[in-house]
Amino acid sequence: MSVSAEEQAFEPLIIVFGCNWCSYAGGDLAGTSRMSYPPNVRVIRVPCSSRVSPNFVLRAFQRGADGVLVAGCHPGDCHYVTGNYYARRRLSALRRFLEFIGIEPERFEVHWISGSEGAKFAKVMGEVTEKIRALGPNRKMRDVR
Amino acid sequence: MKQLNEVIKEVAAQSLSRGEVDLVIGWKKGDLWWQSYPAFVEGDEGVADLIWDPFCVPNLSRYLLEELDDKSKVAIFVKGCDALGFNQLLQDKRVEREKVYLYGIPCDGLVDPRKLEAAGHKWLSEVRRDGDELVLVSKEGEQRVKARDFMYDKCLTCRYPNPVTYDQMLGEAVEAQPQERFAGVEELEKISDDERFEYWARQFSRCIRCFACRNVCPACSCRECIFDIPEPRWLGKAKELSEDQFYHIIRAYHVAGRCVDCGECTRVCPVDLPLQELNRKFIKDINELYGEYDAGVDPETEAPLVTYNTNDPAAFTES
Repeated sequence: MSVSAEEQAFEPLIIVFGCNWCSYAGGDLAGTSRMSYPPNVRVIRVPCSSRVSPNFVLRAFQRGADGVLVAGCHPGDCHYVTGNYYARRRLSALRRFLEFIGIEPERFEVHWISGSEGAKFAKVMGEVTEKIRALGPNRKMRDVR
Repeated sequence: MKQLNEVIKEVAAQSLSRGEVDLVIGWKKGDLWWQSYPAFVEGDEGVADLIWDPFCVPNLSRYLLEELDDKSKVAIFVKGCDALGFNQLLQDKRVEREKVYLYGIPCDGLVDPRKLEAAGHKWLSEVRRDGDELVLVSKEGEQRVKARDFMYDKCLTCRYPNPVTYDQMLGEAVEAQPQERFAGVEELEKISDDERFEYWARQFSRCIRCFACRNVCPACSCRECIFDIPEPRWLGKAKELSEDQFYHIIRAYHVAGRCVDCGECTRVCPVDLPLQELNRKFIKDINELYGEYDAGVDPETEAPLVTYNTNDPAAFTES
């Protein structure tokens, strides 16, 4: 049996929905501070973590993401005052539900990263990438067409 | 139940003839013994068709969405689960309370014709409820069986057999005898992620995407549904597992915290997907994380996913 090219060198694709006010700025800080984090991570900027609809998460998985991460301001620090409180409830419900459908819960993560936590941003991205690399490619919710 | 059968005809005739309502929504007998369909009665001629029998399972409150557009007042009959659905529509501001007159019907559980059929009761002419028993009438005569053996699964777990809201109650209140409703969810939670994935993939792949589960749902009342809009086209047309997953995850998520657990989605599914388990997973998690909440009981409360507490727990590690 030959090993497919994909398995030979599996590089996970991780989609990060980063809140404009904290986590995206945290990512910027990581960059301007010359901290490196894995290039597997693709950041999509959203106005607020509560902007992340489950549609986005599922679509990312469908189109080839191996892991999805939502990053927002710490509770209490939301630019819109309450957005991440809503996000916490909704994304918690979604995470448990994805697990119920059979998707490994590690594939969908939520982290609070502030604009001053460039180091944390880089660290979280590294950890998540390694976790997903160990888990292998997402074959459970992928549009195979 | 025979008695109630007469009462509903009386009250419908009364309110129509007095001009109190423009329309009465109830049930009428279909062509076959196990069919009881929604009936829309606007004048005296339809009143005699109205019935209440062990097959009156369709939830009528959802029909208000269309009927209230051009009518000033509509009367409907509501069972326990229908009343929860009505309250949900009220909470979602899709119906106006003043435009509806509710006749409450205490419901002691409805009969699943497929359970009767599976037990060999096929060629019946009538099924009557008598206390805890069902009277099955066929050409050979009458037979009595235990009602609870033939009730819908959703009725076995029913916690609100008496309408939680009504203008006039018809009949005596009945006692709820609910079985544990999260048993099915807990069974699934025990098995591994991969096994659960296989289970749901097998189920979802049978979906024909008829959208009956959405169309019947008292919580799915958006004027424009995400699954219908062409741009952005969230749900593709292809019969592909990830599209099926998308549909079922999003459908369940959209009613999360608002699902009244009436089980209509499971009942109408032509391929028998256990959709109520999906809804119940959300109900169970929300109850565990954010406190017990029963959608549809009080339309004045806020649904758990449209509100928050600053000290809420999360299902992910917060650091």
